[in-house]
Amino acid sequence: MSIVRWKPLIHQLPLVRNPSLSLREQPKRYIRCCPKNPSLSSSAGFVLGSKPDSGRNLRPIVEAKAAQSPPLSQETDLISSEQFTVNRIKKTYGKVSVKLERRCGYEARWMLEVSCDLVGKWILHWGVSYCDNQAEWDQPPPEMIPPGSTVIKDYAIESPLNARSEGQSESAVQIEIDGDTPIGAINFVLKEEETGRWYHNKGRDFRVPLRGSSEDEITLSMKQSVSIWPEAFDQISNMLRKHEESDPAPAPILEDNSDTSSKKPIIAFHEDYTVIKEEPVQNSMTVTVRKSDKSSDKNIVDVDTDIPGHVVLHWGVYMNESKNWHVPPPPYPPATKVLRKSALQTLLEKKSLGLGNRGSFALNKEVKGLVFVLKLDEYTWVNNMGKDFVVPIENSTSGHEEKIEEKPGTVSSTDKSVDTGAAPYTENLISGIRNLVDDISSHKNKAQKTNEEQDNILHEIEKLVVEAYRIFKNSSVVEKPDKSVDDTSTTPTQLVVSSGTGNGHEILCQGFNWESHKSGRWYHELGEKAKLLAELGFSIVWLPPPTESVSPEGYMPTDLYNLNSKYGNIEELKDIVHKFREVGIKVLGDVVLNHRCATSCSENGIWNIFGGRLNWDARAIVADDPHFQGKGNKSSGDNFHAAPNIDHSQEFVRTDIKEWLCYLRKEVGYDGWRLDFVRGFWGGYVKDYLEASQPYFAVGEYWDSLSYTYGEMDYNQNAHRQRIIDWINATNGTAGAFDVTTKGILHSVLERCEYWRLSDEKAKPPGVLGWWPSRAVTFIENHDTGSTQGHWRFPAGKEMQGYAYILTHPGTPSVFFDHVFCFQEEIRRLISLRLRKKIHCRSTVKILKAEKDVYAAEIDGKVAMKIGPGFYEPERGPKNWTVAAEGADYKVWEAS
Amino acid sequence: MEVSLSGPKVVVAKLKDSKVKRLGFSAPGFGHSGSNFVDLRRKCRVNWVGLKAIRAQVAVEKNNTPFSKEKVQSQTPVELLVGLPLDTVSKSNTINHEKAISAGLRALKLLGAYGVELPVFWAVVQPNSPHEFDWSAYLAVADMARCAGLRLRVSLNLNGCHRPNVMLPGWVLQAAETDPDILFKDKSGVLHKDCLSFAVDELPVLQGRKPVDVFESLFRSFSSTFKDYFGSTITEITVSLGANGELRYPSFPPTTDSEFTSVGEFQCYDKYTLSQLKQAAESAGNPLWGLGGPHDASKYDESPNNSNFFKDHGGSWNTPYGNFFLSWYSQQLQHHGDRLLSIASNVFGDLPVQLSAKVPLLHHWHEMSSRPAELTAGFYNSAERDGYDAVTEMFAKYNCMMIIPGMDELGSNPESLLHQIKQACEKHGVQVSGENSALVKQGTDNFGKIKENVQAGLKAFTYQRMGADFFSPEHWPLFREFVRGMERSQLDADDLPEGNGGGVSLSADSEARNNREMQAA
Repeated sequence: MSIVRWKPLIHQLPLVRNPSLSLREQPKRYIRCCPKNPSLSSSAGFVLGSKPDSGRNLRPIVEAKAAQSPPLSQETDLISSEQFTVNRIKKTYGKVSVKLERRCGYEARWMLEVSCDLVGKWILHWGVSYCDNQAEWDQPPPEMIPPGSTVIKDYAIESPLNARSEGQSESAVQIEIDGDTPIGAINFVLKEEETGRWYHNKGRDFRVPLRGSSEDEITLSMKQSVSIWPEAFDQISNMLRKHEESDPAPAPILEDNSDTSSKKPIIAFHEDYTVIKEEPVQNSMTVTVRKSDKSSDKNIVDVDTDIPGHVVLHWGVYMNESKNWHVPPPPYPPATKVLRKSALQTLLEKKSLGLGNRGSFALNKEVKGLVFVLKLDEYTWVNNMGKDFVVPIENSTSGHEEKIEEKPGTVSSTDKSVDTGAAPYTENLISGIRNLVDDISSHKNKAQKTNEEQDNILHEIEKLVVEAYRIFKNSSVVEKPDKSVDDTSTTPTQLVVSSGTGNGHEILCQGFNWESHKSGRWYHELGEKAKLLAELGFSIVWLPPPTESVSPEGYMPTDLYNLNSKYGNIEELKDIVHKFREVGIKVLGDVVLNHRCATSCSENGIWNIFGGRLNWDARAIVADDPHFQGKGNKSSGDNFHAAPNIDHSQEFVRTDIKEWLCYLRKEVGYDGWRLDFVRGFWGGYVKDYLEASQPYFAVGEYWDSLSYTYGEMDYNQNAHRQRIIDWINATNGTAGAFDVTTKGILHSVLERCEYWRLSDEKAKPPGVLGWWPSRAVTFIENHDTGSTQGHWRFPAGKEMQGYAYILTHPGTPSVFFDHVFCFQEEIRRLISLRLRKKIHCRSTVKILKAEKDVYAAEIDGKVAMKIGPGFYEPERGPKNWTVAAEGADYKVWEAS
Repeated sequence: MEVSLSGPKVVVAKLKDSKVKRLGFSAPGFGHSGSNFVDLRRKCRVNWVGLKAIRAQVAVEKNNTPFSKEKVQSQTPVELLVGLPLDTVSKSNTINHEKAISAGLRALKLLGAYGVELPVFWAVVQPNSPHEFDWSAYLAVADMARCAGLRLRVSLNLNGCHRPNVMLPGWVLQAAETDPDILFKDKSGVLHKDCLSFAVDELPVLQGRKPVDVFESLFRSFSSTFKDYFGSTITEITVSLGANGELRYPSFPPTTDSEFTSVGEFQCYDKYTLSQLKQAAESAGNPLWGLGGPHDASKYDESPNNSNFFKDHGGSWNTPYGNFFLSWYSQQLQHHGDRLLSIASNVFGDLPVQLSAKVPLLHHWHEMSSRPAELTAGFYNSAERDGYDAVTEMFAKYNCMMIIPGMDELGSNPESLLHQIKQACEKHGVQVSGENSALVKQGTDNFGKIKENVQAGLKAFTYQRMGADFFSPEHWPLFREFVRGMERSQLDADDLPEGNGGGVSLSADSEARNNREMQAA
């Protein structure tokens, strides 16, 4: 379920809107309903009639028509009629039952039955485990496999659940088990075929231990599990929930087992789960206003909806343009409560057969309109996309026909056909199912979007909190009781040093390339360039990985405490750090924490014993990397397959790593870290490490693929940058991350001349720097992407456009070593402009142009830039712009 | 309970639950007539159309009982507010850490908070004279809250505060220099510079004006300045009724504040209070009782067990003199509270806002029969006497909501005192909202306590308070989990038959979704 709870707005601030336009512009309103209460009851008729959207255009309209067609004489008195679409979440309850029992009439035959009474094509995705480690998945012996099953590789079987009888919703599958079978447990998950949704047991497998469990807590945990969540990607929150009031599952009963030999006997097992299936459902709501035939100064309002169950209309009226809620004078319709003198609550009258609800009441002519929301139960309110429903009432009779026609979509051709003779439910159901497949995809998208939105909200909360904390902390240090402390808040960036940003004005230089190890004296060679780098304006240099390594480049570390590498020995390393410090440049160490190469084999010939001071063994290796037989926990991230991945969830591993980082800080004098392959483990551990080692600056390499469709890069790379931001968030903002998104987008921009890509849908930069600039370390090339490896080389000849972009934009720019020398003078000019104009990692960008062949932006109002062959010149205005740098297809101005 | 319904089994079970969870019949101290149940049963049988019908019937039943208020409370979600920093507005009337607060407001809004509490200080609004008001910075804060879409509870503090060092307005302190006795004075003659003596409420001691008149004009000025905000943004006004913004004497030492956990001293030694005491003693026919406070009460930090006045057995609190003094002392406090609430309800009564005031949760030493910490603060509460009944009645009189701090305090003392106060509130139909006493930084025990208290039927809960610590990595995740945990508990509650018994939800407007936009940090 959603994590952030949205309380529906009952009373909105009045919306300023031209009422005369309202009908025209908003013919169809989508209402999102936030379900809070799983106990929303669904009557039987409803379940039958509304498979997701089955009746979307059919049945609801039948009802609407019925309500909308008052006697003919009154038809002419129709003032307005408006139909709203109501999106809400319907919950259907069902039961999944897992039963293991002896087959009738057989001593040594057992039967496992998994049944589900929810409508749907259910698939049992299962495997067996033969050993004590019951988490394993293996193929069962062929005789166990029920007919109609599909074998999935070597570890699973997919067996469909079959309807128990024709027309019955309950379906089940039986698996026959031999009493002597060596199988220890059966593991399964459920899948609904039509939607492809998976049902896990809290992200784990369901497990049926055949002989009880040696580890009691496994059974226990199964019994206690209260909810079973579908997989993370699964947007629509279906959940299985163990019913609180369900009959207590019988404790496993020890069966008499005189016939089985050495094995423990099979134990009967029975567990029921209540399934709550949540599906988005569209209902409709029609509000018709007509003149009263009894009293000339009254209008009659008819409300009609196909929402089943109790529907309370929470309503008021407005008398003027301000649309403030008022309570009309009595009399009120039956079953009406007056709430806090500002609204009425009317329980709508149920239509027969549970087809929905309707209500009808008279209003004075003075009333200019009706405002309302719906209340389905204590916690479920329905509003109109976060606003009240508004039904303006105009008292002139003229033009009402026109108005009816203004409601596109509400009266579709299907309506009419249904209109003539009420179609039986079954027909609706069938066509509903026909539509189902089409609809599911659209719902998926919708719901995915909702999830994304919520994630975004959570991330934004965290970002705001980090910001608030920083400023608060900062201003509570600078205590000026009698003076405004505003100076700290107006320029917070000047004062704040955080390991995620340094001082906010940092410019990084990657101090090596893929070939640097070859000379064997790189530290020495680079040291000679320290002065030059300082003079160019760099404030941080990133050194290659310092440890002993299987590969000469240093990314396959072995003994972490051996700091003699192909780049030089430990003394030379300390020397170069010292040299950089002397010229005022901070030094980042490249630390590889994701994996580590073993130095010797274990007894069974697997390379998983580490050498050196940190003599870890298989316990330090993640368990899900088959090559190294790790005995740790499952990896908290992706695996790097060439070397054993370190299990950071182990306390001793973290302690050792923290100690090592502190050692590097102290012994070598590193100021911070460049963290290699941080995709491999959870960012929370990185936070630990950074808090322990207190770096001045830290940046992580979170490199994964951007989104492409048919080989063409998608315009929207929000998912990609979100993943990077997720990681930064996990580190609590203690580290920045390389802005891979921006690099990727620049590739497409420059290769295809598509500069429009540089403005996202909100007219902000499309990379990480558009969302969280202070934590974005922008770059266009590194030792992997370029250099002699060239895994993802920046478009040749366009590097300076890339630098013109990143060196003028917020974020912390990083310049690749090779480029420092290829483009020295051009880069020098850009860096000096950045420093002169005090552009920093939080500077603001105003995008002025993002067209096919040109991109232009103004940064902090002090620097203007353009890249691309197209034309752009800053406007002559109050500011006097002078050209600060210029080159192939780029130009940068500064305001003077 | 042996309800026999012809409906399905589960309904019986649900009713059983509902007895405790929904009706609050389990609250000790309140007998309920058995007829309620008989009635209920009958109606259920007759009108059975579904659970909702039972609910409706129950609601009807409840309306006949003194619990009607609680029913109303339990229907609406608990409003979660967060206190803004005490120094949100500086003494020079500028907003401190504006950017941080603005980011904080957005974060709270997104998290689902209902609003924030804004502490307003007299000294900031009227720094120079009783005739001028400067609300500019507070207006700006109210605007920030409005922009963030959050409601505002404004606390009007007529007292000083040690942290941030905001005392009474300079011109009040000047008046106190010529006549120190307008401030509270303790036994050893030390002044409380953060609180005017209750005895001068109706004396023209402030440049010829009575404090009550000054307060009234302050309230009126507030009411006219913020007229555009009432109802929409400002939904609650909290009036301070004594020291620390609470209904109490400043019984703590003059140099400390609320964190003081000892017994404290009686504060009745300024000449105005003394003269009123003298009068009271004389009319009680015992002039000797009017010469001063109890001579045998303990010093601020002394153990009450060693003092003749407070000790459990044979303490002089439990003598006719003790009874006289404590009655008088507590009535002085009540009269003061009554005067202020009467002004406040007069000024704010017509506004669409809730009036509220705070009582302290003086649970230290509550285990002693004499309740010494409560006595010195002005609550004549003891093992035999309910010191909160009359106070609560006063709240009820002005339809004032009671704010009780200390919702995070663990232990039996806070629990039993809280229970006592809440009972009084139930009796008089006073709505209760809560606050925590301190930022909860150590684990979940205290948050668990808050949650428990909140679920027991609060109208609102204000978490105190925003600041660097609040947003720190050590605290924020705990708070966030607390808020999210509350939402989860709501889901759990939904599984209960009633759904609104233990249900807690935090209010947030769905418009946040629409206004949401990714922001650069």
